[in-house]
Amino acid sequence: MTEAKKEKFIVPIGPQHPALKEPGNFEFTVDGEIVTDAAVRLGFVHRGIEKACENRNYTQDLYLLERVCGICSHVHATAFVLGVEKLAGVQAPPRAEAIRVLAAELERIHSHLLWFGVAAHEAGFDTLFMYTWRDREVVMDILETLSGSRVHYSVNILGGVKIDVDQKLSDLIKKDMDFLEERTEYYMKVVTTDDTFLGRTRGIGTLSKDRAKLLGAVGPTARASGVKRDIRVNAPYSGYKEFPVKMVIDQTGDLEARFVVRLKELYESYRLIREILEKIQPGEITTRIKRKIPEGEVISRVEAPRGELFYYIKSNGTEMPDRVKVRTPSLCNWGTITDVAVGHKLADMPMLLAGIDPCFSCNDRMVEIRSDSQPSQMMNWDGLRKYGIEYYR
Amino acid sequence: MNLSLHPLILLLIFPGGLFLMNIGLLYEWADRKLVARFQSRVGPRWFQPFADTIKLLAKEEIIPNGVHKIMFLALPIIALTGALTAAQYIPMFGFEASFSFEGDLIVVLYMLSMMTLSIGLAGANTLSRFTIIGATRALTQMFSYEAPFLLALLSPAIAAGTWNIGKINTFTGENIWLILAQPIGFIVAVVGLMGKLELPPFDAPEAETEIVAGALTEYSGRGLALFHIGKNVELVIGLTLVVIFYLGGIANPIEFILKSAGLFLVVTALQSMFARLRIDQTVGLWWRLGALMGLLQLLAIIFGRYLGEILR
Amino acid sequence: MAIGVLFGDLVKALFTKPATQNYPFTKTIAPERLRGKLVYDPEKCVGCMLCMKDCPSNAIELLTVDKINKKFVMRYHPDRCVFCAQCVQLCRFNCLNMSNSLWEMASTTKEAFEVYYGREEDIAFLLERAAQPGINEPPCE
Ligand code: SF4
Ligand code: SF4
Repeated sequence: MTEAKKEKFIVPIGPQHPALKEPGNFEFTVDGEIVTDAAVRLGFVHRGIEKACENRNYTQDLYLLERVCGICSHVHATAFVLGVEKLAGVQAPPRAEAIRVLAAELERIHSHLLWFGVAAHEAGFDTLFMYTWRDREVVMDILETLSGSRVHYSVNILGGVKIDVDQKLSDLIKKDMDFLEERTEYYMKVVTTDDTFLGRTRGIGTLSKDRAKLLGAVGPTARASGVKRDIRVNAPYSGYKEFPVKMVIDQTGDLEARFVVRLKELYESYRLIREILEKIQPGEITTRIKRKIPEGEVISRVEAPRGELFYYIKSNGTEMPDRVKVRTPSLCNWGTITDVAVGHKLADMPMLLAGIDPCFSCNDRMVEIRSDSQPSQMMNWDGLRKYGIEYYR
Repeated sequence: MNLSLHPLILLLIFPGGLFLMNIGLLYEWADRKLVARFQSRVGPRWFQPFADTIKLLAKEEIIPNGVHKIMFLALPIIALTGALTAAQYIPMFGFEASFSFEGDLIVVLYMLSMMTLSIGLAGANTLSRFTIIGATRALTQMFSYEAPFLLALLSPAIAAGTWNIGKINTFTGENIWLILAQPIGFIVAVVGLMGKLELPPFDAPEAETEIVAGALTEYSGRGLALFHIGKNVELVIGLTLVVIFYLGGIANPIEFILKSAGLFLVVTALQSMFARLRIDQTVGLWWRLGALMGLLQLLAIIFGRYLGEILR
Repeated sequence: MAIGVLFGDLVKALFTKPATQNYPFTKTIAPERLRGKLVYDPEKCVGCMLCMKDCPSNAIELLTVDKINKKFVMRYHPDRCVFCAQCVQLCRFNCLNMSNSLWEMASTTKEAFEVYYGREEDIAFLLERAAQPGINEPPCE
């Protein structure tokens, strides 16, 4: 064939699609079943949270930022709180730091189990999906008992935490950890031995170490490709200094490796939680912090279940921040999808998408596209209004 | 049976169309309920499929732009007709089949394929990309499972020495259960049935996480309801066929219900045990494993018969 | 390499009760710390207004009836509240609490989402005054 095929067959996935639980748009150009090109379009759930932060005070921002994501809410609050505490020159008491880590690890468990179920569902393995979500209910219950809410735990406050663990709670958590560990072992067996499941994961979407580094992958996606990238280990923050974690690394980089890495991280979380409950020191859980935060800027990095979460906070000495910038992990991982998608089957696409554990609500932000040939697409309000009126005329 | 009943009442009892449709919906309920129980869920109540169907039938049917209208409207009817016609040749609930002749097995198999063919055409008829991919997959799958399924059903027929379903029923009823004599054939038949009905894990043609609802994405209202009913009737027929051929036939209603339920349990367990196969994996499995196994089985039986004749 | 690793669990699931909860008919007891509807104790409140100032969703309005005699009425909007318990944490006089039994707050009317807390006579006084035309509500700060 000399002449290239003019007519491309593009399969759109999203913004409304059963495979996606949140809106995002992916366009896969296919040749039969084989994907020849992939493109991502985001921005359907932009909520303007960063801007909203600028006219609320620090305490209110804490709760607003917790709602960036429904799955990793605690970790957002932790990143913000750590940054603000650094600006204010305040150090939360050790017990508070330990409780922050405890909540973060519980959250990681619930997030990874949630992801596991979703990924199984994308593979058409609904039974596994139902089972993991049933077992995830255990950790949700712990979180509810511990903090009082299933989704937005609101454990953090500026200068400490709200909640404390007592003996009864700690016994309960330990018992549930045992149960979850047993279940995780079982799931590990399923993902590493079940033939039908392996057929969908082994050797699919292999991301080499170099590509992962080049594309800036973070979190379990990067670790499954052998990139040593985990903020909890590389730059320990909060309670992780006192309670170190082991980094889980896999070299293969395919979907199976991502399953294995996430499941192994669960083991690590169980271990860490037990250790915290054993070793936690009695003491204060809050310190006082001034309402007005001194002028300055700070960068705060934490490891969310999906990878490195980055906060930039600038204060101008008032009760409200001057600028809050959030860079969420999912955003860094999109590049890996378009990179590995080419050459795979269309049927693998949902699995590949799920493989990076995408969270759409946390990565929709304004993006300015600059290109040499086109002028910048920035618009002021009047221009936008006029454009809108013209568009819908 | 030559009862003189009002035609409307006759419609309600076997092998009336309405009766079959209701049984089909009941089967759908059993399927969903059992899968739900396997997945540790509660599952729907018994009238859910009925309610769904009534709702769909009452809804507006949207005809998308760019389709061949007559085909769009006729295909669901053809599919359902195919399934219902096939049912006429099958003894069910211990009743005799309403029609039967030497070779009706072949007719039934072709009637059952009409369903898939209609679905494939329905998908190719619309402009949506999902339906086109769904249609391609449905037809690919049809071409791959047809052979093993056919082979799996042929071997009992050869063992019985007849192509008549009714006679095969009597034959299997008198001899030992063929599942013991031909276990490979049984496996191929069950798996083939699941492929034919596009049940998980062979549901690539309608994999919702990839191509929404596959070939039927553009269907709504009446058309969708008819396709659903057709599929359910096909489920009834398929299960009954396997019961007749491999589980010692059906002589009376109780036997029928018990055996069907047992087979149903196996099928639903298989449905919930695996991850969905990609279409290339499905095809590979069929041609490499399914067809080969079916063929081996067939050869073994022919050889066995031949040997038996010589010995006699 | 195996096929059907899940089989054991399937059989188990078939013979155990479904994990689904039959919600409105069977309810599990909410944990002690559950953050449900906010409750306010007017006797202890000193009117420092901290709770109002830091509420992230403006769910609290503290209406002053008589500042000197510490008479306050709280207008609470459960539909705006995000149940973060920041107000509970802030109040140094323990007049705010989150109930762990009042958490089923669905309602078909808007009225249920405007709750008045306070001494009865104060609420009556406020509502009466609000009913009269021309007089504005007391300022909330
Ligand atoms: S719980 Fe939070 S949102 Fe609700 S009233 Fe208190 S501070 Fe406001
Ligand atoms: S913080 Fe407590 S004392 Fe202060 S106004 Fe609110 S309820 Fe009253």
